[in-house]
Amino acid sequence: MSANRAVWGRVRSRLRAFPEHLAACGPEAAAYGRCVQASTAPGGRLSKDLCAREFEALRSCFAAAAKKTPKGGC
Amino acid sequence: MLRPAGLWRLLWRPLAPGVPAENLGRREVASGVSLPGGTSPRSLNIFDRDLKRKQKNWAARQPEPMKFDYLREEVRPRAGLRGGAAPRPYFSLALDLGCGRGYIAQHLNKDLSDLVLHHIHYVLKPDGVFIGAMFGGDTLYELRCSLQLAETEREGGFSPHVSPFTAINDLGHLLGRAGFNTLTVDTDEIQVNYPGMFELMEDLQGMGESNCSWNRKALLHRDTMLAAAAVYREMYRNEDGSVPATYQIYYMIGWKYHDSQARPAERGSATVSFGELGKINNLMSQRKKSQ
Repeated sequence: MSANRAVWGRVRSRLRAFPEHLAACGPEAAAYGRCVQASTAPGGRLSKDLCAREFEALRSCFAAAAKKTPKGGC
Repeated sequence: MLRPAGLWRLLWRPLAPGVPAENLGRREVASGVSLPGGTSPRSLNIFDRDLKRKQKNWAARQPEPMKFDYLREEVRPRAGLRGGAAPRPYFSLALDLGCGRGYIAQHLNKDLSDLVLHHIHYVLKPDGVFIGAMFGGDTLYELRCSLQLAETEREGGFSPHVSPFTAINDLGHLLGRAGFNTLTVDTDEIQVNYPGMFELMEDLQGMGESNCSWNRKALLHRDTMLAAAAVYREMYRNEDGSVPATYQIYYMIGWKYHDSQARPAERGSATVSFGELGKINNLMSQRKKSQ
């Protein structure tokens, strides 16, 4: 935190925009969430990348939303 | 709405009758404190206290520290209510120490060691009372689960991101070991709704409550955070789209021994056995007759 204020400031401003971008990807987030939740049902087993496909969809939607909004402020 | 308060300070103030309050929270600077009598119980070193101090200091330096005090504001009257139920008329002095703010009924540092309680007990006058409130085991279980699931799915394993909490049984033992009499521990749950997981984590940071246990992972990947936020929303969301976070509070009350207080009888002094509980009416009328 003390090292590089500029970097820290940029990182935090990006983080602060997370909820906004996430809100733009409601369906993808819900699909991923459902996939993970389904694995918690009795008989399910959560392993790495079990929901990779859903997550990829979420991630690309998120990245697209991030690109759309201009990176400014803070 | 929020009382403007300075940073942590010791308050000595006379109280109006009927308001009991001897309560101690603590701040981490007490690492140098030495116990009278030279006792040094080994305390579990779970938390990086330096980091916690830095976190609390950072939180206090933020532009609006008071907007994160809503949880303390909520806990304060609830703890006061419990203290008020105690049948003691008058307390002349109140010691009100808090983590960051000088409220009564502060959230104690979760690493509640014997040291702290012994010290509190030592400081109290006989027939003094200690009222405390701290976070219980179910606190933030939604956050804990979401992070765990997301981390498992994204990274194949998980490490704890939410600090361990004292179990309610241990609280009773700790208080008893410190010498308190007539203990009461009870629990309460406060649910706070947030727009999403990030806002919750931002608030936790603002309260100075970020994870500081030694076994924390240094880094939380952005992907994992995104995944966790999605899981949190899907699994726990409310109807209006907000997500809840549960804070479970343990309230504890302990009294310093005084002759006037009830105390457990000596071992072996029982005159009736529990097996005769069914005949308690007879027993009581017998006793009345013999008196």
